[in-house]
Amino acid sequence: MKTRKSVWLAMFLLVAVLLVFGATRTGGPQTQQDRIDSLTAVLACPTCSGESVFVSRAAAAESIRAEVARQVSAGLRTDEQILSYIEQRFGGEVLLVPRATGVDALVWALPVAALVFSIFLLYSAFTKWRGNKPESPTSQDEQIVARALNTKSDEQ
Amino acid sequence: MKSNNLVKIVSTVVGIVIAMFFVVLVVADPDQDIVARSPLLGQPAPAVTSETIDGAQFVLERRKGSWVVLNFFNSTCVPCINEHDLLVDFANSEASNLNGAEIYTIINDDSSDAVRDFFNKNGGDWQKVKDDNGAIAVAFGVARVPETWIIDPNGMVRLRITGELSPGLLSEQVNKLRDGFTS
Repeated sequence: MKTRKSVWLAMFLLVAVLLVFGATRTGGPQTQQDRIDSLTAVLACPTCSGESVFVSRAAAAESIRAEVARQVSAGLRTDEQILSYIEQRFGGEVLLVPRATGVDALVWALPVAALVFSIFLLYSAFTKWRGNKPESPTSQDEQIVARALNTKSDEQ
Repeated sequence: MKSNNLVKIVSTVVGIVIAMFFVVLVVADPDQDIVARSPLLGQPAPAVTSETIDGAQFVLERRKGSWVVLNFFNSTCVPCINEHDLLVDFANSEASNLNGAEIYTIINDDSSDAVRDFFNKNGGDWQKVKDDNGAIAVAFGVARVPETWIIDPNGMVRLRITGELSPGLLSEQVNKLRDGFTS
């Protein structure tokens, strides 16, 4: 039992470490083109449905890609500033990855809240089911059963 | 017992939220605004520098002091072709007004020659501004043409109209803005 617990703990720690590593890894784009690609990959094409500016060949997407390329080449703005520039023109729906501030933060917070709430419900349910387990017989119960069995064997 | 209460509360809340969604869907007016939303409305117009198809320099900021109408255009787009006569009429009526608006065509994803041919055939002697790589379109957040923008004499973006203009709409909107304008 103790070994099983240790294995679960080790697996949990491993997953946690990998998640933290994956989330905080800052490999970053290597070239200007990488930077343009990574920026256009998180921008939605305003005239297509579900396509990023990176993959779309629509005229509006081409224009946005050219603008991102121009700003990256100029080297005067950070990635965040370039995304903000596009967002200020086309509105928040142009961002494929919602921001973690304001009302948009609900997109991130609600699934986590739902997960925590579900875990709580499951925990409550399991605790209740465990509580409903039939209690072990008391010595009085055992005596009653023994008496009944004796009576039955006497009758036979 | 406690758990049953919790389930009742959660289902009631979910039910209320769904009912509210339905109420909003039934009660809400469909979006029939002639003018479109934009984060730029009420903000200074983006800095635009380009040149016209005739080789003249165009700097939007230098147009301050005048009402400016920018019409994003492509000579193959059907709504752009359909609204062209309305723009010609608008330009003529504004030309006779002392405080008349200046109109500029911003060429969207089209060649200068095609635009020149179109205007030669269909009229319209205002300036046609090149928009290489769509920088002006992106600066205004224009995704589809035609779009018409109105900028006041202070250089602030006042109105955005997406799609084909209807008769009288542009004059009506410019007049309304002009009447309520205080510099």
